[in-house]
Amino acid sequence: MRVVLRVLAGPAGALVLAFVLAAVAMLIAGVNPVDGFGALFAGSLGGRRPIAETLVQTTALLFPALGVSLAFRAGLFNIGAEGQLLMGGLLAGAVGAHFAGPGWLVIPVLLLLGMVGGGIWGGIAGWLRARFNASEIISTLMLNFIALSLAGYLVAGPLKSPLASGAETAPLLPNGWLPAFPSIGSLSFGDTRLTISILIAIATAIVLSFVFTRTVFGYELRAAGEAPEAARRSGINMPRMTLIALALSGAVAGLGGAAIVTGVLHRFNTALSPGYGYTAIAVALVGDLNPLWVCIAAFGFGILEAGGLAMQANAGVPKDAIHVIEGLIVLVLAARRYFATRASGAPV
Amino acid sequence: MLGREPRKGMLVDVDAARSRVAELAERNGLAIDPDALVEELPIGVQQRVELLRELEREPSVLLLDEPTAALAPAEIATLFATVVQLAKRGTAIMVVTHKLQEVIDYTTRVSVMRHGKIVARYLTTETTTDEIARAMVGGELPQVAQREVTGTQPCLSVRDVSAGADTTTVTHLSFEVSAGEIVGIAGVEGNGQTALADAIAGMIPYAGAIELDGSTDALKHRENIGIVPQDRHHEGLVLNWSIVENAILGRQNLPGIRKGALTNWTAARADAEAIIERFDVRAASADVPVRTLSGGNQQKLLVGRALLGDPRFVLAYQPTRGIDVGAAALVQSRLIEARNRGSAILLISFELDEILALADRVLVMFRGKITGSFSGAEIDRGKIGRLMAGLT
Repeated sequence: MRVVLRVLAGPAGALVLAFVLAAVAMLIAGVNPVDGFGALFAGSLGGRRPIAETLVQTTALLFPALGVSLAFRAGLFNIGAEGQLLMGGLLAGAVGAHFAGPGWLVIPVLLLLGMVGGGIWGGIAGWLRARFNASEIISTLMLNFIALSLAGYLVAGPLKSPLASGAETAPLLPNGWLPAFPSIGSLSFGDTRLTISILIAIATAIVLSFVFTRTVFGYELRAAGEAPEAARRSGINMPRMTLIALALSGAVAGLGGAAIVTGVLHRFNTALSPGYGYTAIAVALVGDLNPLWVCIAAFGFGILEAGGLAMQANAGVPKDAIHVIEGLIVLVLAARRYFATRASGAPV
Repeated sequence: MLGREPRKGMLVDVDAARSRVAELAERNGLAIDPDALVEELPIGVQQRVELLRELEREPSVLLLDEPTAALAPAEIATLFATVVQLAKRGTAIMVVTHKLQEVIDYTTRVSVMRHGKIVARYLTTETTTDEIARAMVGGELPQVAQREVTGTQPCLSVRDVSAGADTTTVTHLSFEVSAGEIVGIAGVEGNGQTALADAIAGMIPYAGAIELDGSTDALKHRENIGIVPQDRHHEGLVLNWSIVENAILGRQNLPGIRKGALTNWTAARADAEAIIERFDVRAASADVPVRTLSGGNQQKLLVGRALLGDPRFVLAYQPTRGIDVGAAALVQSRLIEARNRGSAILLISFELDEILALADRVLVMFRGKITGSFSGAEIDRGKIGRLMAGLT
């Protein structure tokens, strides 16, 4: 009994509990959970194409989740990965539509522009916090709406492609497209949406992990997040740290936007993100804000995102059920943390 | 009056409460303003309020846990006069304290606790502070290091400094601390010590000049200063971090710790091990979170970090706060050794005994001003005590 309880108290237990609750929800909705979950996993892990699609979703979640993790580690609640993702994609898409040149130049430049776009968006919130002590929770959230409206206006007006019927930028020249994921033996991904962007995302996670654990900057960033007053007294310039951390956080999310533009859409439109920036918060928390664990969490959520569509098509479970599962996972984890804190008797 | 509000029908009789509080304060010799908001009062005065509230109930058993931690010597005497009166009227009183002199002066029986057990019992009249101290540490008290003659090169100079806000200001403060000297700031908590410490640490703006070796910039160089902050949990430590990580907090950019953009964790670990060894920090390893250490061990870690590398100047705010007699003697020895090696040390403590034990020179602070200065043979416990209470 004790062993069972201990397993249930771990993150694995949180997942199990969330799935059990989701199964109950399916039963209430009149769907056999076996069918539902069967469709979910067949659509996400059952074969080459489903796996590729899962990894595409993983990548889309991983960048903003890493950005969110960075900010959270610095004690800053960046809720604005969605806006930062959009602004990164917008800048990359707007320039990419007109940028001719060799791929080795165009792709890095577009990815860099993604970081600049997201970095500026995060940096605005950072500056507001550093200069006026404006809550970054509010400002990053508000900036999401501004980003969405701004991007929506630009792609419907000044940046609209004259050839497209919908609101989107002109397509990127093929030199700006990210290469497909390399073949593994006889396994080729040329006909899927999977590109090397997942490798860039994992490399980003490794770099962040290194920054957190090995560099003085990472040390100071974590100090600022763990104990702001002690950090300030250790000589860390807190306003400057706030600005840098939020800008960097935005830059990582913005890189994700550029990765979607150059890897998947090959143009920018506001459908770039179905809410990756928000789901990313859950991914970051499930991954315990540790970049390497966040990779695994992103994969888990990638399964849900990719499998959700299949589940809707094949088992008749609405895709929204996926968001119920995601929500339940976060809820169970939050509850676990709350009880763990209470049990240890430490002040919350 | 919470819990015993005088009533007028459904209403609290505020006037009756006020006069009752005033009368209690008068009778017990504990001066407070009945209308002050408790959160705005210094801790020492808050303690008086707490005590008055308990006295008002006229209890048959009164339990006092470190009642004098934040009181001036004169207040301690008044407090115990009240307490002894109560005892004579038949109240059973238990005092938990680490101040042995209080035990000898005011109690009738003593029990010594160590590691959660009572290890000795004495009748007060038949024991001495030495005997009690030995029982507390379970052996001979470590000898506090001998002070050696050192130079008198001025190191830290504070000139006409005003800083702080509200109740914790200092105004037009001037003094110097020489290399190889411990200057003790004696005073009851809440008389401007925090503002002074924060101004020196560069944490709050101030008017006037604070210089290290004749330069304001030198104070900003971390290798020159070691600081034992007032609040170890919020200001000094990152509780979720290991001892190794905490050992370099504030020193993270010093050459040796910082290698290019990277942290030299090997050097950090060596520093952590050095602190653990020299300060007898009891921990399973250098990698356990500081949160798991006892308060005393956390405090030893803080002082150890501040003294690492023999800084030019050390600001020690209550360096032995919350640690047992044995550990306190160790910390005090290390401070004196740092002094002997030429560090200038400013010791801010609310415990006069500690100041008298360590300081070469004693400055008394009262309401943000220095009201007395004593060195060498002039140091006089009685005079200092009166100045601390605002008397002359």
